[in-house]
Amino acid sequence: MNQSGQVASCDNPAVPIVLLLEIQQFLYREARLLDGEQYDEWLELLADDIHYWVPGVQARYRKDVEKFSAGRMAYFDDNLEYLKIRVARAKQPNAWAEDPPTRHFHLVGNIEVEITENPAEWTVHSLILNNRHRTENDEMEIKARRLDLVRRDQDGSLKLARRKVILQQTVLQSKNINTFL
Amino acid sequence: MSNLVVETTSREVPIVRTGEWVDVENGWLDRRIFWQDDIYALELERIFARCWIFVAHDSQLPEVGDFLTSTIGQDAVIVSRGEDGKIHTFLNSCSHRGNRVCFAEVGKARRFTCNFHGWSYGLDGGLKSVSRPQSYDGKSNFDKAKLGLHPARVESYKGMHFACFDPAAPSLEEYLGDFRWYLDVILDNDEGGIEFIDGNIKSHLKCNWKFPAENFVGDSYHAPWTHGSALIAMFGKAPTMRAERSYHANVNGHGWEFGLDFIGNAATLNSPQIIEYLRGQETKFAERLGKVRSRMVGSLSSANVFPNLSFLAGHNTFRTWNPKGPSETELNTWVFLNANAPQELKDEYRRGVMLTFSPAGVFEMDDGENFENCTSVNAGVVTRRQMLHVGMGLDSQIDHDELKGNVYQSQINEANQRAFYQRWADLMGAETWADVPVR
Repeated sequence: MNQSGQVASCDNPAVPIVLLLEIQQFLYREARLLDGEQYDEWLELLADDIHYWVPGVQARYRKDVEKFSAGRMAYFDDNLEYLKIRVARAKQPNAWAEDPPTRHFHLVGNIEVEITENPAEWTVHSLILNNRHRTENDEMEIKARRLDLVRRDQDGSLKLARRKVILQQTVLQSKNINTFL
Repeated sequence: MSNLVVETTSREVPIVRTGEWVDVENGWLDRRIFWQDDIYALELERIFARCWIFVAHDSQLPEVGDFLTSTIGQDAVIVSRGEDGKIHTFLNSCSHRGNRVCFAEVGKARRFTCNFHGWSYGLDGGLKSVSRPQSYDGKSNFDKAKLGLHPARVESYKGMHFACFDPAAPSLEEYLGDFRWYLDVILDNDEGGIEFIDGNIKSHLKCNWKFPAENFVGDSYHAPWTHGSALIAMFGKAPTMRAERSYHANVNGHGWEFGLDFIGNAATLNSPQIIEYLRGQETKFAERLGKVRSRMVGSLSSANVFPNLSFLAGHNTFRTWNPKGPSETELNTWVFLNANAPQELKDEYRRGVMLTFSPAGVFEMDDGENFENCTSVNAGVVTRRQMLHVGMGLDSQIDHDELKGNVYQSQINEANQRAFYQRWADLMGAETWADVPVR
């Protein structure tokens, strides 16, 4: 069971196929920018008020299911300023964990778009598989469920306004997360 | 790991020759201590099953029935608040067939009941009931009083609960010794003490547990180099560490390397509010702790309580390095702050630690690389024969009017690392606690 995967309502009308394709392309393009470590271009996809959140996950009994309350420990609980600091580190020539570079791989699937009360914003569900290889034998894999809020900006482009990432792992099976999910 | 199995058949019979493994006097380490199965197995016996291991802070288990699960070495334990209001720690393994009796990391319970045959234990680990008790006849030597979950001793220092499986171990007070005086810098700089923020972060590193523990006990040397990228990203340059105003101090293998700069660590949290809070409390800290210790509250520093509880003053993070094998370690990270601090500071500390010292943090990201590679290279037999140098500051011990324990000038030093390995060797070579010297 995964809370963010629960279907809130079944009567959310289908969005126009053109919009669905546009949002899919937006997420695929985002994944490719992350694969290529094109972080400045990636930051351009984010709304100024972005909330990028990857809370820690705990194994609990059903009667005590996690609420993911806002004040708990997380891997990321970032606004744009925090994300820019992380990007600034990754770009330093002495960011040792980045050289040789990681071979990134962000696979996005199960994309589902729902309308919201705001005609310029959509809730977007997706699953991601992030695979990272580095040097000869270093391999790390993260699988997660994402809940995004995608917004049509005034200039007509799509922006990512909210992202909540629920990891599959309670104990992160990686020494670091030197990417964005 | 298959290479380890091959290695096992060809190596010498394990004999405890700790003088060979650790040469503290001249500053050399034998790399086998980071790799060999038999040495690791002995660590579980003589370090983890013997020492006081941090299990919980008081604020994590405020009410009767609150519990969390943890490990002491590789022994799975339940830590719970009993009906007597006290913290109990006992094995998470049923006395009947050994199955785990608790599968949640945290929660609230009245009983821990085994899924296998329904044996049910109380919050103190005592066996309360079993299914079909009538099936145990008079000859079956079934005595509930003797079938509880094996308990550890639990003792506390200012809200920090430690557990120990060795009945012969000294009290926590003796075990910590004068290091308690240093711990007060974070645990008691305010009359309200500290509290832990909800939740924790766990991650898995393919490294020997001692590399990160020794890193925190004394290695400020690595900070400007390993973390140059983060420091430049945040400040445009690395901060200055001054030999004349900085120290290594250790007691019984516990160590703290620190400057007296007051806010060096805290400054990396990207929060003016935290700096403002610390500045506002400066006089009060000095009243409670004296001038010297008050300058440590948020300073450039790192520390480790032997064997595996590390912390950073200023960042306000505790973490444990839990061994999962000679080259496997689980890192558990928490954030704390003064219980009396304004609520809005909670998020500042929490987000600041996530930005700096979580697996996605700009500092920690480069640490895991180092710890893992320092470990994995030892698969090479010739590599393993090469001693590691840990000889910085051999001549740096000083007498200090105020600072307690063994004190050394300059935080760019390896005195605390040597003290850590000395304590490790003392315990590894000792048959009983009676043979372990006070350091």
